[in-house]
Amino acid sequence: MSKIKRGVSLYSYQQAQFFKQLDLEGQIREVGTNLFGADGIELLDEQALRKYPHPDPEFFDAWYSWMDKYHTTPVTMDVFGDVLQFRDHVQSYHENAERLMSDIRLAKKMGFKNVRTLATCPVEVMILALPVAEECDIRLGKEIHAPIPLNGQYVNEIVDYVQKTGTRHLGIVPDWGIFAFRPSEVTLDWYMRHGAKEETCRLVAELCMENHTGKGNALKDIDLSKYTAGNVESSFFRYLKTHDTTDDLRPAFDLMISLVKDNVKDYTEIDFEVMAQALLLSRAKAEDLRELMPYIVSIHGKFYNMSEIPSRPGQYQDISMDYEGPIRFLKEIGYEGYINSEYEGQRRFQDRTEEYLISEVDQVRKHQEMLKRLLEV
Amino acid sequence: MFDNFLIRKDSLKNDVDAKGAVVGFQFAARNANYRGVYLSLHNGYYIRVDGVEYPREFQTFEINGRAPRDFTQIAKCVWEHWDFDDEGIVHVRKPGGLASGEHTIDFQQSVLAAYGYLPTDEEWVKNPPVPGSGAGSDKTKNIVTYHLTLNESEAGRV
Repeated sequence: MSKIKRGVSLYSYQQAQFFKQLDLEGQIREVGTNLFGADGIELLDEQALRKYPHPDPEFFDAWYSWMDKYHTTPVTMDVFGDVLQFRDHVQSYHENAERLMSDIRLAKKMGFKNVRTLATCPVEVMILALPVAEECDIRLGKEIHAPIPLNGQYVNEIVDYVQKTGTRHLGIVPDWGIFAFRPSEVTLDWYMRHGAKEETCRLVAELCMENHTGKGNALKDIDLSKYTAGNVESSFFRYLKTHDTTDDLRPAFDLMISLVKDNVKDYTEIDFEVMAQALLLSRAKAEDLRELMPYIVSIHGKFYNMSEIPSRPGQYQDISMDYEGPIRFLKEIGYEGYINSEYEGQRRFQDRTEEYLISEVDQVRKHQEMLKRLLEV
Repeated sequence: MFDNFLIRKDSLKNDVDAKGAVVGFQFAARNANYRGVYLSLHNGYYIRVDGVEYPREFQTFEINGRAPRDFTQIAKCVWEHWDFDDEGIVHVRKPGGLASGEHTIDFQQSVLAAYGYLPTDEEWVKNPPVPGSGAGSDKTKNIVTYHLTLNESEAGRV
């Protein structure tokens, strides 16, 4: 029996919160009562908390009473660090670390064990904040999010620092999106509703699958290891509008543009964006986790769309990413931390009318069915 | 994200000042993201109503129980937070307000929140992007079009 624990990032319920269908207590109740034993709570401070960064004193009592009532436990708090907050200058690393230290203290006050920073949070900032993390006994983890690989600079600099100093309060939070091997079907459907050609969607899925199965290697030399998915997407969008981008991004962008031009009839600008989805994949391998085990703070169980496995009623999968392989591997190497469901497909339905919005509650239940099943194998 | 839900459907109203004059219009907007942000990062809107553009200089924003503030003032609210749950009111100066009936609103929000340090940071300190260019709107990259009917059951206040 695996010692891996299951939890949910309340990021998953962002839409239910937006429409005021589930408030914070409602989200915690859902995790504690409907997910067959999941008990871990992860949340984003700037999503979940009212009056951030100073919630009312009464809030903390309510928070702990919900943890008791629903048998849940605070695992990881996800934090941000917008560098233009002061508007008259870009935050220095010191200023950025001040914000992080304040968030670490808030996490401590709420009983969290870990704080997750963005992938793009400079390691220097994390190191500046580390004394506060150590004082609070909070493990600070950098999110490793597609298209960042597990064997690139962002991970290496953390591992190097930990090896040099022996601190146990610095590490990584791998996001399951690094095991995605193709764009999700809900992403491609979204693009088709916005005018992308079916041929482009077929082409990008084929390109990704060929790379995944080893039949092709067009993506092999592309290294976007220092960019988050959001930043690659917005940089590509800007490149299409202005033809301006950095030298390391230009070749990858040009390749995606020429694939469309050479293969798709009557393409428009949006077809380029569809092809660029291929750039958002880390194509990480489960084996890459082996040497990183000591540094894993917790794991984001990112997923885009759960669908029923053909001829296995009641059992679900995400067709765009590998769960079985990495879970088998994590069990083998003895990972004992949390995998927290992090659903990110809801935005792919929000261009439609209300009746077409997807149920996050249902998607997370299906994801937890899969996690539980794979963990118990 | 939340493309079709960023403006509350029944929130388009004319604004009336203390003397009873119709001085503009307003609508309620949400944060186009999965989280809130420090208010200072909020950089204004691309707003085009029935083909007429209303630049940032004609806009004010009402949030956190305060009177409407323009975006020069908003940029100074570096310790005030716009929570994810909260709706803000966008006021647009237009003497006489909008006519009765349905209006077509093209809309994009610009919030200078991003994932860490970016090449555009220094430029955006000196010259914040003009809303509508896509800059500062990475979660809702496209301008969204709404068809809203003017709510005349009650007037808005400025």
